[in-house]
Amino acid sequence: MNCHEAHEQMYGYLDRESGVVRRLRVRWHLYRCPPCGKGFSFEYALRLRVRQGCRDELPEELSHRLRALLREQTDGQG
Amino acid sequence: MPFAPQLYSAALRMTRNPTDAEDVLQEALLKAFRGYHTYESGTNLKAWLYRILTNTFINKYRERSRRPSEVELGELEDLYLFKRLGGEESTGGATRSAEEEALEGFVDEDIKGALESLPENFRMPVLLADVEGFSYKEIAEIMDVPIGTVMSRLHRGRKALQRALWRLAEERGIPA
Repeated sequence: MNCHEAHEQMYGYLDRESGVVRRLRVRWHLYRCPPCGKGFSFEYALRLRVRQGCRDELPEELSHRLRALLREQTDGQG
Repeated sequence: MPFAPQLYSAALRMTRNPTDAEDVLQEALLKAFRGYHTYESGTNLKAWLYRILTNTFINKYRERSRRPSEVELGELEDLYLFKRLGGEESTGGATRSAEEEALEGFVDEDIKGALESLPENFRMPVLLADVEGFSYKEIAEIMDVPIGTVMSRLHRGRKALQRALWRLAEERGIPA
């Protein structure tokens, strides 16, 4: 596997969507090619940063309102 | 209400404003509650809830925006942000590279803003995969599109997200 092929496989690899053989081939390439290893590592770090940056608190007021609403539904059913 | 905070965050990214996010979440939770008998126990509850949330959002807001369904993002290269942050030139060795540290220069509002700047077709798969951790197959089911479409939109959406982040970095002078 060369660098170009590794990049084509990057998202499948990072998303854990590629099969075992392909994963191993990508991993072997990353082991032998530090520049690709760095690129993959960056993509992974970016993903964690995106995930971490997209969490909002549920406003207390909204939480109360939703609970009350669902309680009404339950009561309605007897 | 398990998943409510997570669903609220997702609704915020979809609608891009708190008022609409509250409406979508409330409607979706009611639908989930009323349709709970259609949920097959043992299947993925989280994916089931996100499917309801996504459908609620699409039914409520797609009419309103009426964007062309396929917005052109242009061709973007792999490792867009990595290359611009100097990843190819920097020398490794440290446990964390300089470009990975540059990611800490973004605040949460930057990340949210960059994601929200993507057209809906690309924003949804990126949100579902990268923030919520769903598999391609689950996203295809949640959005009711073929897996191949999920993959191509996800790949292009991720690059567009990187471009949006890079624009912010340039404006701000990251990495300084």
